[in-house]
Amino acid sequence: MPELTIRVQYYALLREQAGRSDETLTTGSRDARELYAELSERYPFTLPADMLRVAINAEFGEWSQPLKSGDAVVFVPPVAGG
Amino acid sequence: MNAFRFSTAPLDTASLQREMRDVTCGGFAAFEGWVRNHNEGMAVTRLEYEAYAELAEKEGARIVQEAIDQFGVSRAACVHRVGSLGLSDVAVWVGVSAAHRDEAFRACRYIIDEVKHRLPIWKKEHYENGDSGWVNCERCAASPAHDRDYGAPTNYLHEHAHGHDHDDDEDGDRELHPLAAPDYSRQMALREVGPDGQARLRGASVLVVGAGGLGVPVLQYLAGAGVGRIGIVDADRLEPSNLHRQTWYALADCGREKSTLAAERVRALNPEVRVESHALRLDAGNAERLAAGHDLILDCSDNFATKFLLNDLALGMRKPVLFASVYQYEGQLQVVRGDDATACLRCVWPEATRDGLVGNCAEAGVLGPVPGVFGSLQALEALKLLLGLPGLEPGEMLIFDLVSLNTQRLRARRAPDCEAHRRAGQPVAIGAPELEVQFGSLVDAHAAGFTFVDLRDSRERADDPLSWPALNLPMSKLLTDAAMLETGGRYLLICATGKRSAAAADLLRSQGFRECRSLRGGVKGLKASA
Repeated sequence: MPELTIRVQYYALLREQAGRSDETLTTGSRDARELYAELSERYPFTLPADMLRVAINAEFGEWSQPLKSGDAVVFVPPVAGG
Repeated sequence: MNAFRFSTAPLDTASLQREMRDVTCGGFAAFEGWVRNHNEGMAVTRLEYEAYAELAEKEGARIVQEAIDQFGVSRAACVHRVGSLGLSDVAVWVGVSAAHRDEAFRACRYIIDEVKHRLPIWKKEHYENGDSGWVNCERCAASPAHDRDYGAPTNYLHEHAHGHDHDDDEDGDRELHPLAAPDYSRQMALREVGPDGQARLRGASVLVVGAGGLGVPVLQYLAGAGVGRIGIVDADRLEPSNLHRQTWYALADCGREKSTLAAERVRALNPEVRVESHALRLDAGNAERLAAGHDLILDCSDNFATKFLLNDLALGMRKPVLFASVYQYEGQLQVVRGDDATACLRCVWPEATRDGLVGNCAEAGVLGPVPGVFGSLQALEALKLLLGLPGLEPGEMLIFDLVSLNTQRLRARRAPDCEAHRRAGQPVAIGAPELEVQFGSLVDAHAAGFTFVDLRDSRERADDPLSWPALNLPMSKLLTDAAMLETGGRYLLICATGKRSAAAADLLRSQGFRECRSLRGGVKGLKASA
């Protein structure tokens, strides 16, 4: 299977834990759930995927949605500060 | 009788009071306005009242209905005299009967204040020296500064006694506020605003939930823009740790209720705004009452429990809610329209989203201007919504990272299995008792039948022991050790300030502990009232 090139952006707690707000990476992951699992091995993410939402190309999507090269993926945790 | 009416004959207050009798009511409050013998140093001998009856009767009935809706009282009525009155005659009578005294007093106060501010009624005073003059046309006094002539106040007021064409109303005590309202000309110069837009803003009513980091800029800009009516809900008192981001307040204000402080600031900025402050936490028992009569709700809260409740309210009452939340250097903005077609907060966030998961300003830290930016954006979106300008789409989320200055607009779809949409149109209030309750002492709370649950950790308990026996259940053990509580038990949860206990009560309620409540203000509040 060819590797996919994906642009990933992190927000809130994920940005803190990844130590960056965005990156472009190549991955063998086929969907957002696999990608998050892969990134969880690289970074000390504490939030399970079920607590987050993923957006693909500016649209909130499903974790099982297949990824394609060039997709922009955003992991969004809920925030409540005021 | 009509809820509001004029009378040319002297008022028979005894028979008015009899009409308010109701066996479901335990309290009756009345206000009488009398003709007094002096005004501004002049001896007054008699008065004449004149009213623009058609307009005033409609508006008066609306005021009485607002009081009934807002305070949940059983009966309310107001009668205003017109014609010639002698000293000590009753000029206006307000009566309210309710199940309990508190709402009766509050509704009564609301009605007389609003009648004084909003109704086109004019008073001609006859003085001992033979002079007379029309005074206190509060509607004219409150009209926008740019169309008022200060040069000839008496004639101006008199001329307007007939054919009154101002739609605006409101507060305008000339002695206290030589200018009764800001000059809106700079925003009215915008083609999209103009006189029509300004009238729309003046006719609008917005509820702001939270008067903290987000609420401060929201209230400043809404009040400055001349939004006609603003409700403020906040249970907290100002703390020194709030000031770096809540820069409207002063160090000397610490310890005071934020809702009261914010209302004072709004009035100082724009006396024309009708502002109501509620020093309580929004919960399922009071949400609909607080939201009644408002066109738009702004969520400036700092917790998910409130946000999800407001989301359910949006769908329950079909009212738009504008949400904002911040985290450290970033934030999210979302508008929920409350209709069937577009996404709501629950379409986006998993059911399990709860407080304590990702941290609030206290836990995660925040730079002052971050809520400032998001509160300003929220105010901007609110004004655009009221003016009918394009903006954030329903369901769409704006994410703004203020470190990288990247913005994202993410579209959310209405989830087919959304629980909040399934319950849409149904009342949010489920008959549960209010989440928070206030007592002056634990003795009073015990007398009310509560068993106390102390949520503080062992060090806090040692530093500041309770004066009454309590079950010790530190917050950290709440979920694992909740089994020590009985689901039907009448528990009063207590922490240092009332914040943890409110979150815990909300959580326990969701697990079936229907009778548990949070002590508002916590141990600190008990000390303050001691």
